[in-house]
Amino acid sequence: MQIIFHQTDANHFSMKCNAIILQLNNQPMAKIVILGAGISGHVAASHLRRKLSKQHEVVVVSPNSNYQWIPSNIWVGIGRMKSEQILFPLEPLYKKKNIGFKQAKAVSFHPEGDKEVTKPYVMVEYVKGEDKNNFEKVTYDFLINATGPKLAFDMTEGLEPGKNKAYSVCTYGHAEHAWHGLKELIEEVKKGKKAKILIGTGHAKSTCQGAAFEYILNVEQELRRHDVRELVEVTWIANEYQLGDFGMDGMLLSYGSNIMKSNEMIEMIFEDRGINWIIGAGVNKIEDGVAHYETLDGEYKTETYDFAMLIPAFSGHGFKAYDKEDNDITEKLFKGFMIVDADYTPRPYEEWTVQDWPETYQNPSYKNIFAPGIAFAPPHAISKPRVSKNGTAISPAPPRTGMPSGITAKLVAENIVDIINGKKTLNHKGSMGNMGAACIASAGFGMTKGSGVSITTYPIVPDYVKYPDTQGRKLGKTFGEIGLAGHWLKLTLHYAFIYKAKMKPFWWLIPE
Amino acid sequence: MTQRISKTKRFIMMNPVIQFFKYIYLSIKILVVVAGGHGGTRNKV
Ligand SMILES: Cc1cc2nc3c(=O)[nH]c(=O)nc-3n(C[C@H](O)[C@H](O)[C@H](O)COP(=O)(O)OP(=O)(O)OC[C@H]3O[C@@H](n4cnc5c(N)ncnc54)[C@H](O)[C@@H]3O)c2cc1C
Repeated sequence: MQIIFHQTDANHFSMKCNAIILQLNNQPMAKIVILGAGISGHVAASHLRRKLSKQHEVVVVSPNSNYQWIPSNIWVGIGRMKSEQILFPLEPLYKKKNIGFKQAKAVSFHPEGDKEVTKPYVMVEYVKGEDKNNFEKVTYDFLINATGPKLAFDMTEGLEPGKNKAYSVCTYGHAEHAWHGLKELIEEVKKGKKAKILIGTGHAKSTCQGAAFEYILNVEQELRRHDVRELVEVTWIANEYQLGDFGMDGMLLSYGSNIMKSNEMIEMIFEDRGINWIIGAGVNKIEDGVAHYETLDGEYKTETYDFAMLIPAFSGHGFKAYDKEDNDITEKLFKGFMIVDADYTPRPYEEWTVQDWPETYQNPSYKNIFAPGIAFAPPHAISKPRVSKNGTAISPAPPRTGMPSGITAKLVAENIVDIINGKKTLNHKGSMGNMGAACIASAGFGMTKGSGVSITTYPIVPDYVKYPDTQGRKLGKTFGEIGLAGHWLKLTLHYAFIYKAKMKPFWWLIPE
Repeated sequence: MTQRISKTKRFIMMNPVIQFFKYIYLSIKILVVVAGGHGGTRNKV
């Protein structure tokens, strides 16, 4: 098989110019390699396998042997779910579904092959089994980079899960660890100790405030359940300029018959639950029970705690890329995360538009490479960038939650299927500026005592031209609700998405 | 702790019968947003 790419003007992202002609010669077979088996990698693999005939090969490369439903880590972190309830092993499923699996991690990208291998390949290093520490050149016709973020704990001095009484819930392992820490503290408080809990973002440029928000509300409810709430001071710390920014510049939402700003809603919830907050804070150093941070006013402050859960900065994995002659071409593929069809021209906040955001997640230099989910480099933040008086950037990086990760992975898979079937343009598009997202934030676990904050947003990236009077969002589709139904919804999503990920009958009917 | 949610509102938020209907309503509403589709934002050249 041979893939021929039509020459394109690199700055011109029109679909016409993106024509790719796939010539199936004597070997009528395409090999699609997917890096990562998180939400986006697994969604892409399952849709490709469903839509492509057996002659085409689908291979997943991931260092983790398990699939994990990350949103439920919150409940692992408060001891209300076990890790085993949110994960399952990938290999048996992939074997059954005829998807290849390599428990390995991608190390470098070689989109033109090299002097010995004519096909493009990724260098992978096995992490387990007989092949551990061995390298392999995994060739491909199409590559989907779905490696998500690197959890960059190293960007904040002293921040390491389980060290200095600070924890994370970003993986099931971290969440289990966090629960042990919390449980110990609850036991001490039961004996009369007064304690302080700090939850939020652990870096000036962290994202994923939503996960920390869920965790603080769940922890607060658990303290009440254990009858120790009175003795514990619970504090939110975040790089947001206002509460409820969530890395999305906040939102104006309909709440019952009212129209409310997200900061007003979150303020109401925090006050009602007795949670203090510190915002506009860039955490820069963690010592045993002490968080050091800088404020937007340029002050350097500290906050003490007995238990903390701080979301680290998310960064790219630091992959390198090389051409046929072994020259470093990393800047053609990566800008921290992977370069896709976004407009990366640097512009001031006032000039940002939704059109800057990618639609097909295709790399402009190597058109058989795609990056859905968190793996793609965003053109800029969504929240207004802010800098402290000392010049430190303190504002959230753009989130890419589970739903857009799934949607972008599915559309990448559909475009690849189209190309294999002879289509010359990429017809499936999904910009975050023309996509809605549902965020069901757990606010406490329990079939009768639980609660959830259900928020939907449309579009994810505000379109201030289309919706100038409602902060860039469509009001009917941007709404918030608080209550027990939210907990049931979150639990339903947990079971539905694990069912879907296990590729059980009619799994594809469940939307991403 | 400042009571910011009234007793009536809290009753509505936590009443399983009311919340069951809310659950159905929210599921449909969310599905509408999700199934509402997605697309590009740039004009075709
Ligand atoms: C605690 C928490 C709660 C959340 N709750 C919600 C929620 O309620 N709703 C929501 O919509 N979103 C939520 N999110 C966000 C959501 O989990 C992410 O948006 C989503 O997981 C992103 O998917 P992804 O596939 O891009 O990345 P990931 O899920 O991070 O997957 C990346 C994959 O790549 C693999 N990988 C890493 N390095 C390599 C390498 N070198 N080579 C090959 N593979 C590699 C990893 O092992 C992993 O399998 C939450 C996130 C967290 C941390």
